[in-house]
Amino acid sequence: MDEQSCPRCKTTKYRNPFLKLMVNVCGHTLCENCVEMLFVRGSGNCQECDTPLRKSNFRIQLFEDPTIDKEVEIRKKILKIYNKREHDFSSLNEYNNYLEQIEEIVFNLTNNFDVEKTKQMMEQYQKENKDLIQRNKIKLTREQEELEEILAIEQKEAEERRLLLLKEEQRQLMAKKKNKQALLDELENSKLPAAVLLAQHKDRAAQLETQIEKQSQVLQPSKFSTGIIMNQKISLQPVAKVEEVLYVYQPLHIESYGPPVPDLENLGRLGYLNHVRATSPQDLAGGYTSSLACHRAIQDAFTGLFSH
Amino acid sequence: MYHNSSQKKYWTFISENELVRLRVQANERFRSKLLATEQVGISESTFLQPQEEAALYKHYEKRLLDFCAVFKPAMPKSVVGTAGMYFRRFYLNNSLMEYHPRIIMLTCCFLACKVDEFNVSSTQFVGNLRENPSDQDKALEQILEYELLLIQQLNFHLVVHNPYRPLEGLLIDIKTRYPAVENPEMLRKSAEDFLNRATMSDAGLLFSPSQIALTSILNSAVRAGLNIESYLTECLGLKEDRNTYTQIIETMKSIKNLIKKYEPAKTEEVNLLKQKLEKIHNEFSKVLNQKRRKGYEEDGHVTKKAKTEVCVFLIVVCHTFILFSRFIQTFLH
Repeated sequence: MDEQSCPRCKTTKYRNPFLKLMVNVCGHTLCENCVEMLFVRGSGNCQECDTPLRKSNFRIQLFEDPTIDKEVEIRKKILKIYNKREHDFSSLNEYNNYLEQIEEIVFNLTNNFDVEKTKQMMEQYQKENKDLIQRNKIKLTREQEELEEILAIEQKEAEERRLLLLKEEQRQLMAKKKNKQALLDELENSKLPAAVLLAQHKDRAAQLETQIEKQSQVLQPSKFSTGIIMNQKISLQPVAKVEEVLYVYQPLHIESYGPPVPDLENLGRLGYLNHVRATSPQDLAGGYTSSLACHRAIQDAFTGLFSH
Repeated sequence: MYHNSSQKKYWTFISENELVRLRVQANERFRSKLLATEQVGISESTFLQPQEEAALYKHYEKRLLDFCAVFKPAMPKSVVGTAGMYFRRFYLNNSLMEYHPRIIMLTCCFLACKVDEFNVSSTQFVGNLRENPSDQDKALEQILEYELLLIQQLNFHLVVHNPYRPLEGLLIDIKTRYPAVENPEMLRKSAEDFLNRATMSDAGLLFSPSQIALTSILNSAVRAGLNIESYLTECLGLKEDRNTYTQIIETMKSIKNLIKKYEPAKTEEVNLLKQKLEKIHNEFSKVLNQKRRKGYEEDGHVTKKAKTEVCVFLIVVCHTFILFSRFIQTFLH
């Protein structure tokens, strides 16, 4: 892989580890320093394709291939215009055609294909569907807002839960402390033996623990933020068995119109092999045996003998 | 195996009459085809009659077998049988007047060598022709020209089951299971002769190769003064099945008759017919056979000459383009 470098000053990532490559709408790269230098006035032309560019439109190159950055930028822009949804169409096919059209436009603009024609087409589309675009835009922002609201609520809930937990912990800590203090006080003032007092204290401490545990259980959320209930039991029952008729093997039967031929394995036993040429060691190495040839000859001799 | 082969399915016919009908049909088809062209000088007497065609066919078949017999390196029998069968199948549906048997005969041999895995190169093959090298090249070209046509006319059924291997099988079986014959090997010579004669008859189109082989053995046994018909009942399991037994005896009889019936074509008659055939081919071949090599060209087998022409053309185009772009460059600067 060749190293990324600025086409203007030829700096590479190796020579300058802080090199930042930037891309503008035309898809040609420049390093940050060169951008600063060339676009001091805020605007200028691309070094390579002479497209008028603005400094503010430079983005840090995210992908290795700058054309992908360019495509992402173009896609963002086009989707602002072509923002129809599936339910705006009567059939899935139409929707798919629409998506295909979008891809076509993106491809054309990215690869500088019929740019003028494509732009004209886009403008026309924009004019024709002005209302719909606007409506969809509003719908989209509304949906966005709703989503944000939900997120905000969730965040708030999480915060509350955190605070509650903190408070609870503090309370518990206080209770424990109090318990300890009480033990000390009692040891000081009471007339009972120390062992009894200690036992009493232990009991109380255990009670306190169980109480705390109970409370913390109540506090734990029972749902994930997606609405799925926590600690769901998954059924481990086996899948119901499907009863079907089993396949029964039927041996292959071939009508050969002739007397039966002895099996390949039995040729030697029946004495057939005494009448054919013995296999030479060289032939055996290749997997040939005399019974193969013998079998074939006998098969050929018997097949079709009784046909008419 | 023969029992599920294309030979059994498509190339085994029920009766001799059917073969005769097919040949007459082929003859008539050619007549009507030529008459349709409305050439001058065509009359009924120009054509060969079906019987005349049969006589000529016999002559060329004999030449095919002779060619195979003296072929160097020696040709296996199965190749000869396959070539003969190709020749027979080809002229079942085609007329001798349409395709000249001299070249079809060589093409059949050439194709049979390939199909039966008898490896000879094409130059080695035509080297067997008693002609000078330039004529040999011409013959080779013709063979290649007709090869695709032949394959097509055979309906791409290229595997031929010859009776030679069944004969071996039957001999092995007799040696193993039928000790009544003391020396089965002595049957071989005359049986093979019988099979060679069978190639010159329609037996291959009417009966299965195993039936022909069995007939050859029984025939050979009769000549040696032996009666081995009990082999059928004892070893081939026909003791109970009288029906099949009589049937196979009938079959063998008809095979024997068919082969006995053969008589070679008379030389004087053949010479006369040959002149007639040459006349037909010389006068009318141009009208009928114009596009024979079509198959090769469609496959992209462009001739060498055409290829070089294309190359030269491309080079010229490239040069022009380079010159043109240089011109534009200087113009721009």
